[in-house]
Amino acid sequence: MGLILASATCDPSTEIICAPENVRELFEFRTPIFYLGPLPVTRTVFLILLAAVIVSLVLYFGLRKKSVVPGKFQVIVEAIITFVKDGIAVDIIGEHGARFAPWLLSIFLFVLMGNLYEVTPFVNFPITSRIAIPAFLALLTYVVFVVAGAKRQGIRYIVDIAWPKSVPVALRPLVGLIELVSTFALRPITLAVRLFANLVAGHLMLTLLLASGWIFMSHVGEIGARAAIGIPWFALGLGIYVFEIVVIMLQAYIFTLLSAVYVQTSLYPDH
Amino acid sequence: MQLLASAILATEAAASEGSDGVKLLLPAGEELIAGIIAFAIIFLVAWKFALPTLKETLEARQAAIKSELEAAEKSKIEASSLLEDYQAQVAGAKAEAAKIIADAREAGEAVKADIIARAEGEAEAIKERAHEEVASERARVADDLRRQVADLSINVAEKVVASSIDAETQRQLVDRYIEELGGVH
Amino acid sequence: MEEIKGAVALIGYGLAAIGPGIGIGIVAGSAIEAMARQPEAAGLARTTMFLGIAFTEALALIGFVLYFLA
Repeated sequence: MGLILASATCDPSTEIICAPENVRELFEFRTPIFYLGPLPVTRTVFLILLAAVIVSLVLYFGLRKKSVVPGKFQVIVEAIITFVKDGIAVDIIGEHGARFAPWLLSIFLFVLMGNLYEVTPFVNFPITSRIAIPAFLALLTYVVFVVAGAKRQGIRYIVDIAWPKSVPVALRPLVGLIELVSTFALRPITLAVRLFANLVAGHLMLTLLLASGWIFMSHVGEIGARAAIGIPWFALGLGIYVFEIVVIMLQAYIFTLLSAVYVQTSLYPDH
Repeated sequence: MQLLASAILATEAAASEGSDGVKLLLPAGEELIAGIIAFAIIFLVAWKFALPTLKETLEARQAAIKSELEAAEKSKIEASSLLEDYQAQVAGAKAEAAKIIADAREAGEAVKADIIARAEGEAEAIKERAHEEVASERARVADDLRRQVADLSINVAEKVVASSIDAETQRQLVDRYIEELGGVH
Repeated sequence: MEEIKGAVALIGYGLAAIGPGIGIGIVAGSAIEAMARQPEAAGLARTTMFLGIAFTEALALIGFVLYFLA
């Protein structure tokens, strides 16, 4: 709302799109609505906690009945869980995959819900576009795959990566260094940044196009000029809205898939 | 609580040093804390409730389908055995019906033969009696006739010959005549 | 100078996106080829394609982040 009021002053003759002074205005909601103990509950914090509640409720009401012949809702919830458990955990990681299923399932559901906020009417703000969420989840994945690798292979886990036996001796220091950096530095960073950047870009596109289109159509200039600028922007925004629905599901899938792949490479480095 | 507050302060401080865009790349403390709490809740629900419940449901479903299939198999076998029973029963009934019909036909034939035989017997008897009656009638009539002829002849002879022949000779003549007459028939 | 600085960062991101763009195209094209050649292995090819895209995309994403840092 703040954006729309701020942008209502923008002039279509000098600006083709109504962008705020600073893009941070689109992502930072740091004013506490109320305090939960010492935790200031801002709009973002509220949405994060709400995601946990929604996911828990969906799981609870989806599985509560344990019907032998499930209803539509139960089928959907069961299909999602089975997809993560069998399609990602067991398929990618292998025989020990089922042990990682709760972790992967909660990552998938949390990221999916956080992403879905982007296309939820009246919310329109993905919590995963705040670096805190992807960074925390990526850090968790980092811890899980390093601990899993160290637990299964011991010191050989690091040694095999730093001194790869599959390449010629002369190249081993170089490849080992690259592998070390890519495994222990780039993996968590790219994992977090991939999700973050996709959602930031999506949110920016949607907000700028839909808000600009709406403002031009409703507030600015003559009626002809309004239609000429506002309608194409708004239509483009709706097109990207549909595209973003695909993107948010894909990103939730890819985040979970990569987490599983990282664990798999730690457990079975030869594969 | 101290940790939380200091974490928030630390990220605030770091954020205020960088340029505007960098702030987007630094996690906001309260959001990080909320994210950890939210993830912990989801993880607990997924770990302690969702996956075990789903496993239970799927196992129950598998068992139900299996038992239903088994029941169907069983009832199929039952049905086919019942069908066999019925078919055997129907075949038996048919055979019995055929036997009954054959028996009835045989009995009918016997009765028919019996009736015909009896009727023939009766007819024979009737014919015989008729013959007997006719014969006896003829004998009686012949007797009567002979007597009447004898009497008549005596009367006639008495009148014709009168006293020309004595009584003895007369009787002899008449008797001879009667005998000749009797030999005629 | 402020104006130029912003523009330079954008150009940097644009350059960073070229390589991954080509790379993702190659990955997706090869995956489609694989799926067409062996439809029964389509699931495997799709998963591998997503992984390949994810790894390739990382370079573009680093460029995207550098835009914020610059």
